[in-house]
Amino acid sequence: MLSLIDEHSRLLDGLSIHLGTENVLDKKIPRERRIFVTVKKEKLKEAMRYLKEKENFIHISTITALDGGEYLEVIYHLTKKDLNLNLKVRTPHDDPTVPSISDIFNGAILYEREIHDLLGIKPEGHPNLKRLELPEDWPEDVHPLLKRWDLESIRKKINGGGE
Amino acid sequence: MTEREFLIPVGPQHPALKEPENFLFKVEGEYVVDVEPRLGYNHRGIEKAMESRTYIQNLYLIERICGICSNAHQTCYTLNVEEVLGMEIPERAKYIRVFMAELERIHSHLLWLGVAAHEIGFDTLFFYIWRDREVVMDLLEMVSGNRVNYAMPTIGGVRRDIPSDKIPQYKKMLKILEERTKYYKEVAAKEQTILNRTVGVGVLKKADAVRLSATGPNLRSCGVAKDARVDTPYLVYDQIPFNVITYDGGDQLAQILVRVDEVLESVKICEYCLDHLPDGPIREKFSPLGRVPEGEAVNFVEAQRGEDIHYLQSRGGDKPYRYKIRAPTLANIPSLIERLKGGYIADIPIVLAGIDPCFSCTDRMTFIDIEKEKTWEMTGDQLRRYGIEWYNR
Repeated sequence: MLSLIDEHSRLLDGLSIHLGTENVLDKKIPRERRIFVTVKKEKLKEAMRYLKEKENFIHISTITALDGGEYLEVIYHLTKKDLNLNLKVRTPHDDPTVPSISDIFNGAILYEREIHDLLGIKPEGHPNLKRLELPEDWPEDVHPLLKRWDLESIRKKINGGGE
Repeated sequence: MTEREFLIPVGPQHPALKEPENFLFKVEGEYVVDVEPRLGYNHRGIEKAMESRTYIQNLYLIERICGICSNAHQTCYTLNVEEVLGMEIPERAKYIRVFMAELERIHSHLLWLGVAAHEIGFDTLFFYIWRDREVVMDLLEMVSGNRVNYAMPTIGGVRRDIPSDKIPQYKKMLKILEERTKYYKEVAAKEQTILNRTVGVGVLKKADAVRLSATGPNLRSCGVAKDARVDTPYLVYDQIPFNVITYDGGDQLAQILVRVDEVLESVKICEYCLDHLPDGPIREKFSPLGRVPEGEAVNFVEAQRGEDIHYLQSRGGDKPYRYKIRAPTLANIPSLIERLKGGYIADIPIVLAGIDPCFSCTDRMTFIDIEKEKTWEMTGDQLRRYGIEWYNR
């Protein structure tokens, strides 16, 4: 019988072959039941479809987005029995977009609105990108989880520069 | 929108929700046609705040995300930090953490059962259940010193030990809880007052539940056996025998039965922990100024409302670079909407309460008749009474 780690490498190899090894930028298996894999942004939907159809991932736990300095990173946390796969894509600050995956995983619909709200990353093809968490009168260009915004600068922006 | 359809905003303050949330109901007569949620009224910016606090400070901030699942969030946080640190915590600490997690599940589920009884106008049952819930509240206070926000898990282990001379008393209290819960299980399955208001109400189809990535009792009431304690085991859950409870049907009765049975399973897990508590220390050292190396970790905890997932990215130093939290209620919102569609206005309180979002009692809601540009308001209590009277007709 294959151990869990062997099973995880088999899954990763299958994904690499399907997407083409040049499109998989990084992969690691830090421990049992955890996989981290980074793919090119253009291959995101293809990877998601493959994981859903061939590897039976049906549950998306959440989407994490973060400001990594020179780039923005979006992490999709998928789970199934005995495995949590974290698929990452990167996108530059001057093009904050990712393809929307809510047509493949319907459960992602609110999580995509959340990253749009808090980090200004636009999931292209999402049916409804209204504000989810921030107030309606929040300034359009302020995305509080970006590193360049801190409490002071947000306060200044909201008060129009004055106190 | 046709002439017969109306829009009813419910919230931001609503009887079934502790976190203020706004739901815009489109109704036709007594039927709910569509629902649009509007979240964020309680967005406190905790993820951002965590980036400027040390790991030990965050331990106490994260506990305050929610008063009911405080232990679940704290456990998940410590698991993440310990994974990046590469720290193995003592066995005894793992058992105590599991013991606390299951006590928290018992108290939360009993609280929810009381609330559900209240929402359908069965206040006698509500008072009985909350009286018995005091047993587990006392137990939590005896173990941790607090009734809420127990502050038990810490980075490296737990903060307080379970003294062995107290164990017989704890077991006696667990026995009381077990007996009372068995009685409530019987009540829930037979009492006509409950059956009338819950059978076939707020039904969620299994396929929709899976498609919308629902979680927790909300998902298990549709017959899907998904539980983070089994799927991605943490602490010592892989050593403890217990059942994952599922019921078919996906209606409010199934939600009640899942939670009642989960209380019974949790009592068993607690007893197992007390019987098999290993000897040894309860924590590893972690300095308040402790630094965490570069790395990242994802951990799952099965909180009482469903799967709780946290992600930590560290770039060295004494503060996290990014910390992401997804509490179970957000995952359950899309499937909640599915449950509300096609139901009666009178069923809104019980269905909203059904996924066990947090609860608040001070609330107002506005009913807007857009055709006549007329507005009228109802307090949450009035909507609850409206529901009860509607069923009495």
